[in-house]
Order: sequence, then structure tokens, then C-alpha cells
Amino acid sequence: MKTSRIISVVLFFSVLGLLIYFPGRKWARGHVNYQTAVTDHPLNCLSCHLYTQKTGFLSKVINRKYMSPFNLAVSRSGERLYVVAQEDNALLVVDPYKNQVLNKIKVGNYPHSVILSNDEKKAYVSNQWSDEVSVIDLESSRVIDTLKTGNGPAGMSLSADNKSLFVVNSFASSVSMIDLATREEVKRLDTGNNPTGTQLSPDGKTLYVTSRRALIAPYGDTLKSEITAVDEGTSRISERRNIESAYMMENVAFTPSGDLAILTMIRPKNLVPSIQVENGWMMTYGIVVIEQKENGRVIQLLLDEPNKYYSDPFDIVITPDGKKAFVSHSGVNTISALSIDSIRSLIARSTPEQLKSFSNNLGISSRYVLKRIATGADPKGLALSSDGKLLYVAEQLEDRIGVISTDSLTTLGTIGLGGPKKITVARQGRRLFNNSGHTFQTQFDCYTCHPDMHEDGLVYNMASKDMGRNLTNTQSLRDIGDTPPYKWNGKNQTVYKQDGMRFSTVLTRTEAFNYKDLDAITAYIITGIPYPPNLLYNPKGELTESQLRGKAIFERSKDSYGKEIPENNRCITCHQPPYYTNLKMAYVKTLAWSDDSMLFDTPHLNNIFASPPYLHDGRAATLEEIWTKYGKDDKHGVVNDLSKIQLNDLVDYLKSLRAPQYEFNDLKKVQARKKTNK
Amino acid sequence: MNKIRATIAILMAISSVSIFFTSCKGKISDRMIIVTRSTASTDISNTNTSSWRYIPQSQIVLIDPDRSESSEKILTTAFYSARAPQVSYDGTHMIFAGQLKQTDPWSIWEMDLNDMKYKGIIALKENCIDPQYLPGERIVCSKFTQNDSLKSEHSLFTCNIDGSNFKRITFNPYTYVASQVLKDGRILTLGSQVYPKKGKRMLMVLRPDGTKTDIFYCSDQSNVLTSPATETTDGRIVFIEAGNNPGEKGNVISITYNRPLHSRVNLTAGIGGDFYSVVAGRSGKLLVTYRKSKTDRIALYEFDPETKSLGKALYDDHGYDILEAVEAGPHEKPKKLPSEVDMGVKTGLIMCQDINVTENHYSGKESSRIEIAGIDSTLGIVDAAADGSFYLKVIADKPFQIKTIDKNGKIISTPCGWIWLRPNERRGCVGCHQNPEMVPGNKVPLAVKKSPVNIPMHINKVVEKKVSLE
Repeated sequence: MKTSRIISVVLFFSVLGLLIYFPGRKWARGHVNYQTAVTDHPLNCLSCHLYTQKTGFLSKVINRKYMSPFNLAVSRSGERLYVVAQEDNALLVVDPYKNQVLNKIKVGNYPHSVILSNDEKKAYVSNQWSDEVSVIDLESSRVIDTLKTGNGPAGMSLSADNKSLFVVNSFASSVSMIDLATREEVKRLDTGNNPTGTQLSPDGKTLYVTSRRALIAPYGDTLKSEITAVDEGTSRISERRNIESAYMMENVAFTPSGDLAILTMIRPKNLVPSIQVENGWMMTYGIVVIEQKENGRVIQLLLDEPNKYYSDPFDIVITPDGKKAFVSHSGVNTISALSIDSIRSLIARSTPEQLKSFSNNLGISSRYVLKRIATGADPKGLALSSDGKLLYVAEQLEDRIGVISTDSLTTLGTIGLGGPKKITVARQGRRLFNNSGHTFQTQFDCYTCHPDMHEDGLVYNMASKDMGRNLTNTQSLRDIGDTPPYKWNGKNQTVYKQDGMRFSTVLTRTEAFNYKDLDAITAYIITGIPYPPNLLYNPKGELTESQLRGKAIFERSKDSYGKEIPENNRCITCHQPPYYTNLKMAYVKTLAWSDDSMLFDTPHLNNIFASPPYLHDGRAATLEEIWTKYGKDDKHGVVNDLSKIQLNDLVDYLKSLRAPQYEFNDLKKVQARKKTNK
Repeated sequence: MNKIRATIAILMAISSVSIFFTSCKGKISDRMIIVTRSTASTDISNTNTSSWRYIPQSQIVLIDPDRSESSEKILTTAFYSARAPQVSYDGTHMIFAGQLKQTDPWSIWEMDLNDMKYKGIIALKENCIDPQYLPGERIVCSKFTQNDSLKSEHSLFTCNIDGSNFKRITFNPYTYVASQVLKDGRILTLGSQVYPKKGKRMLMVLRPDGTKTDIFYCSDQSNVLTSPATETTDGRIVFIEAGNNPGEKGNVISITYNRPLHSRVNLTAGIGGDFYSVVAGRSGKLLVTYRKSKTDRIALYEFDPETKSLGKALYDDHGYDILEAVEAGPHEKPKKLPSEVDMGVKTGLIMCQDINVTENHYSGKESSRIEIAGIDSTLGIVDAAADGSFYLKVIADKPFQIKTIDKNGKIISTPCGWIWLRPNERRGCVGCHQNPEMVPGNKVPLAVKKSPVNIPMHINKVVEKKVSLE
């Protein structure tokens, strides 16, 4: 009996094994081929089914919580570093001499920047995803106060008298002035689009606020991004300067004498057909130099070289002697050391025409770049010791601080922040996402067009067939794992295909990701990109009356005249929660003359307020324009029966849409309520 | 028990000896160097002669610089002449050009460096020389193209490692020799115009599918490139440049990959004698072939580019000139570039942003049209758009030049170099004769708002298969 049982079990498993191995293997091969759009991707179930787990036990086992240092400040004595650990929602107090993290102070959600009060008794940390600044008593290492700000607080600066705090509201495009005595926001001024960096001039009179996104304009118009000058005395805008053909001006620094302000920037080529990468046809990177005098000139200088690009410049600092500037390039793990005197000399002896040409000259950097210094993965914020001898670098994806000698321009060492030693598959994917090493001559990376893993607000001429055709509005990559297919034309059924060979042939134009890297970047995109909370339009999940009315319009089945709206022309049919997409292709009569004939993949609408311009070619500057200018024939939902107030309600509701997890939570609540009622 | 022990010991000894001999058989150490040597009496340093890349009675020899001369091994004993050895990225094979008999054309061969067996890869009626491995199991070589309608001399061809899928990738009246592969995956080759008049030899760069050809480096008027160029481990490109006049000294020149047109350094300015070839070594040092005087034979030396000093002679045989060297063993594989070429398409597209941009800026000149010239005839005259841009659809794999003219037909800019477009290639230019370090301004060229102009203009319609890159 026992023997027959053993034989039966062995037989059962043998048959099962054979079934799995032969028909199962064939099925698996077909499945993997479909997912990856290639025929030779290894049949490794784990690479997809394990590492792309977003939630649950397995996800917790395979993933780690990293520190991700983003910005930092250094005490005057040089004995303390204060490091913003963005993913750990903390401020780390570090002893750079002992190479030791002394304290971890929990702050708000997704901290961005840190500055110290003049007496160094307090630190201010802006919490970008919780709309507040944490005030920290440095002696006790405790948060002693929380200051309300506008939406998305990022860069900060103290007024010259140390009595007011200026906080840049990156999502709301404004700067708040907070009276530190009363803790009240006393003024809020509009800035350029998506500002982050700010710096007060050495004379304490002018506050500069940079902006990252370009001002919304029709495709073909000259790209312009604003730098906003605030008169510190009157707390009014003293000047709005539009910097042409540049965007992503992340940070700004003044020379100690105050004669120059220097900003980091990107010069994109989104208006040029994307037909080649060679010779800077996709992206170039550099600095904007603004002379601080009457009729001061604005000069753009590239930091690239003819066959090497220094992508994603982020921070800039200038030594106290005013001789050197340092720029972090997060896309190539490099710091550029610049000679300020050489820049001054170049500007002084060049004609206006020459100065203009420098912004498109890849060779000019040899005149002022002293050295390129390698760093760990993804260098972001920079801080100089008070004597200017040491440069500290927040190496975001290395979980450590790099220390560089500003004299010898060499790396002296690194300071570990105690993050996980293991680099997970998704973390490796994030490193790849942020690194230009997989683009021809390191000209750009995923992050360049998808800053903050979102989108850069630009429309590109992807020139898929002929030049000048198929304009493409960059789409956000936040939480897109469950919203296939991808691309506006829905040709990529999976992230694997999106980032595979096609990506290399059409965009990066160098060797494609190997499969290990492709698995990693896919794991990161599918699992690792959360939406910021929608604190601007829906902070608590309670809709306003206008938004509730808009919701009713969004979900309606009859128009204002009581006439049935065909099911496929209702908003809710194609834009179903939780992602507000039915994952299907649709015809909404938005094809332009320059588009190839195609259907469009229904886009997801979570946090849609943060993704202007709209429609596949970005022709709608606002959500409203989708219908007032481009939806006159009621093919993209029936809207022409709506009054202006109703349309406003609809737009208000759309702006209230949040990350999908809130929808899941709401759904759970509804189900629970139903159960209770039963 | 003792018997068992003894048996085990004997078996182990036999195994060890077998393993030792097996591992030693044909094993090539990474320290070894493969050189080409020649007894030729002709002045091989004269690069203007037709025999520059065709040295008679040359041999490829494996040497171990750490051991005595007796360790050298001739790898091409069966060949009348052989040269241009290149080692595969995994270090297991060597590709080279060779002639079995004096009357044979030069052909491409590959040798397994483990057993020294060789096989033919490309054997044609015309000479095929200067092979080089490409990533992706392909090779590139120069083939003589006699009576070519494109009036070229040596053109570049690529093929699979077994010789199949042999494809031409250059299509202009130039000659291309001595190709190497940059780490970025592009081919770096010596190119010079041969029609309508002979031009200066330049370092040209192109993708392995023949697209995006461009000038990488050009010597000044007083010098001429006389050797292949190779990339060092620290991002420099090194090659030999000699004075224009026959017999002038050859020097080792270094340029940077990042900025090749403006970073020239003569590494051997302070050293007398004559440098003939240079190759980058794994250690950061260079392998150079050099002779102190015209009466000496050329020998192989190590050269330190940091101190600009010549090291010890690695191989010095008084009976031979050492023509070139390459390190044995594995080395870094360049990137494998994707291809945009689609042989189902008959044309390529080219766009220029503004024909009035020359050097660094808008020239102020009033060119309003361009003339597209083929080898034998004009292919068309096209009006530029109001912003100076043009947009052409050109029959692929045919050379053409562009010159700018004003509304009265007066030539404003002389013709550019010969260009070709591969099938489905798309290229852009910023201006005409513009500074090659210039990038395009971020603006929509008016010309691309319309359909491209067909070139030659007498073609009314090009029927393409549907292109779908995305």
C-alpha cells in the first residue's frame, strides 16, 4: 500500500513536472515574448513577478527603505552636517570628522531643503509633500514648531535680518514670506512655473527664485522660463526675467561680491525634430549668468563638451573667495569645478553676438571648466564649509555624503549615512533611471524629461515618420505600472517594451539596456514612483461643492437637456477610477494634421492638475481648453451643453483627482459601509 | 589501503600533469603582444605610396616581451604577407588581412588563438584590408572599389564574423582605411576625398550602419595623418602625424575624445627619431613603433603619455621593421549601436536649420537657395524657407554636395564635403560650414512644416514601404 502510494505521488509529480516543463515552458516563452517584445529575454519568473510587487509581504521582503540624501547644510564650525534624508522623512545630524550620524530627527513628508538660522540654533526643513516647514531646535535635536506654507515647499532663504523666512512653493508656483515671530505667512507672491531654488543676494536686497518648468506657450513659440526677483525691502516682485530656450533652473548662487548670479539650467531641443543625438540635437546643459547691475546682461554658457554631455545640473555653490563655482550633475555622477574669473573675463571681452553664440557652443566650456570630479550615484545638493575648503555632496542614490577638496579638486572621502547596504533591484532601476550612461554620449536620461519621475511640461517633435510630425506631450511616469498600454498611441503593451530596443533605437541611440538592467528599470518604474498628495485641490479627500457638482457631470449619463449621452461619450466610461482610464484606445477627434492616423491610449487622470499642457500634443494649455478650444464637436465627451459655471465645476473636480491609492481606500470604505448596512 | 592511496596519488599526478599541459597548450598570456614585422626594403614610412597599407612579405608574430626572442612565434607562416592584426574583444581570436600568394588579392582571415588555426572570411577579386571587430559579431574592413560609379577607392564594408551579409556602408568619392572602433560604438577611420581632386586625410567617424558620418579630427596644413588612431583607457585618441613633406618625422599625437578638434597635443615633440605607429595599451601606456634614425630598423617600444617619455624597447629585431602592434588578451567591448537603416526604404531625410549660419553665428549673407550636386550632375536647386531652413528627401546611398546660392544664382557658400544618406537615415545640420561644435537652436524649422523636397528633383514620387520606427 505504502509503495503504491509513493509510486502514485512520484507519478503525479512527474506528470505535473512534465506538463509544467513542456506545455508550460512554451506558454511561458510566449508570455515573456509578449511582455518584453523580444524573443530572447531569459525565462526568469522572478524578474517580473517578484521584483515588480508593489505591495504585500514579498514587496516588504525584497525592498529596502533608503535615506536618499537630497540637500544639506554645514555649520560654520564645520563640525556638523545637516542632511535632508528625503525618503526617510528625516533630518540627519552628522559629524563629518567622526563619519557618524549623531541624530535622526523625523520631519514632515518628503523633505526638500534645509537652512540654518544665523545663530545656528535652529534649522528649517521644508517638507515638500506636507506643505509645512519643520523648525528644529539644534541643541535638543527636536522639532519645536511647524510653519504652514503654500503647496510644495522647496528652497528657502532667511531675510537679511533673520526675522522672515522665504519659502518657495514649488507646486503652487509662488513664494511665501513667513514672519518668524508671529509664525504667520504675511505675503505670497507668484513666481515662475514650478520654482525650487532661491537665494538672497549678499547685500540682502534681492531674493532670486528660480523656476524649473517653462511658461506654458503654444508649441513653436520660444521656450521661456522665469527667474523672479523679489525686493526684500518692500517684499514685492522687482523683476521677472524670462530666460529664453532654457528650463529646469534648479538652483541659484551669488558671487560673494554680488556682481553675478549664476543658475543651473537645461537647454532642451524639443522644437527641433528628434532625428539624432549627435552634436547636441536633444539636450544641452549649462549655467545662466546674470550680471547684477543696471542693464546687466544675461548670458547662457554650456558646461558640455562636443562628445560628452553633463546632464541634469542640479545645485551650484560658490566659494567664499569668489574664485570657484561647483555644479552637481546628477545624470553623470560628476561635479564640474568652474573658474569664476575665467567666466568674468570671457564675458568682459566678448561681443553681444559672441555671447549669444556661446549658448549653443559645446567647445566654450573649455574656457572656464577647471575639472570634472567623479561622485557616487546621483549627486544633488551641495554645501561648502565656511572657509570654502571642503565641498560636501549629497549623493542621493548612494546614501552618503561625498567630501571634496576645493583646492586640489579631488575627493577626500565619503560619509556613510547608515542606509541599507543592499542595493535592491528597484533601487538599481532608479539609479539607471537617473543616469545618462545609457544614452549616446550621456546626453540625457529618463529623469531629464521626467524630472521627479513626472514629466517636464514640454512637447517634443518625436519625428517618428517625417520630421515636423507627431508632436508628443511628455507623460508622467508616476504609478503607471497598472495602466498599460504605454505611449500616446498605445503601441507598447508593457514597460518592458517601452524601455527596450525601441527606446534605444528611437531615443537613446546607443546600446540597449541589457536584460538585467531592463528588469531593474522596469521594477523601479512599476513599483517605485508614488504621486505626491494633492494638497492643493483635495487635501483631505472631501470634495468642495463645486467639485461635487463637477463629479456629477463627470459621471453623468444624460446631458443638461435630459438626453441620453451615448455610453462611449461619457467621461466616466473611458476615465474610470482608480486610475481614471479604462486602459483602452479611443478616438476623440483630437488628431492634428501633423499626426499619423491613430487611436489614442486613454490617459490616466490622477493628479492631472500637475500635468499641463494637455492632450497628446500639448495644444491645450489648461484643462478647460480641452473643451472650450478643442472639444467643440462633443467627440471628447459631451460638454457643449454645459454652462461656463458647470465647466468650471468639471475642471474643479478633475483637479481634485488624487493618487489611485486614495481611490482604493475610498472603495474599501464604500464596501465596508455596504457590509455594515447589510 | 596503501595500494588505494598509491593509486589515488598516481591518478592525481596524472590529472595534474594533464591539466597543466592542457592549460598550457596554445595559451596566450595577456602580456603577450602581436606584432607585424617586415623585411621590406621600400620606405614604409612614406604614406603617400600606394603600398602604404600593403606591405609585401610582412608577418604577424606573437611575442612575449618579458621573455627572450626565442619565444616569438610566427602566426602567419602560411602567408606570403599578412598585416593589420586585431584581437577579438574576448581575446580568443585574431582577425587580419593576408595574401597566401604574392599574386593573391589581400583578403580577410580569422585565426583561433588557442590552436592557431585560421579560416578565410572575405576573399574577393579586389583587395580587402584593415579589418576590425565590431560589437555584435560583425567586422568592418576596407575594400577596394575599382571602376566605381561613386568614384571611391577604398570603401568601408561590414559583414558577419563568418563573412556573410557583406554590406557597403560608405557611399562617397572618398577612400577609407585603417578603421578602429571607439568605445561609443562608432567606427573611427582615415578618410580622404579622391574626387574631383584629392583631399587631405582626416579622421572620420560614422556609425556601423554607415549613418551620421562626420569629421572627427583634421590635421593642420603642415601635417598629415599617417597611422590608425586608437582610443586610450583615459579617453584620449592617439595616432601618428607627420610633416607634409616626404621623410618628415612622425610624431605621436593625442587628442581627447570629448573635444577632438581642439585638444591636439604632440606627445613626442621633444624626442628625435621617427614614430611609425601607436596603439593604446591596457595599462595606460602606449605601444609605439619607432626608429632613432633613418638607418635604423623600426622597433617596438613602450611609451608613457603622462611623462612623454620613451620606455624600453619591447621588441627589436635588426632584420625587421616592426610595423604595428596589438596587445593579446581580452579588452573592453565597445557599445553596440542600434541601427535606423531600413533597406525597405529608398531614401533618407536631411534638414538644415539655417543656411545663412556659418562659423558661429548668422552670417548676414543672403543665401536663399541651395544647389544639390551629384557626382556627375546637378540633382536640383531648392528654395530655402523664409528662416533659411531646408528639408530634403534624398535617394539613399548616393553622394551629394550642397552649396548655397543667392536669388541671382551667385554662389555664397562653396560646396560642403560629400554627404550620403543611408536608407531611412535622418540627419540634421545647423548651418553651412558652421562651427562643428555648434548645436542647433531650439526652434521649429519652417521647412519641416511642409513635405520634404525630393532629390533628385526630377523624381515626382518615391514609393516607400511604410516606415514604423515607433
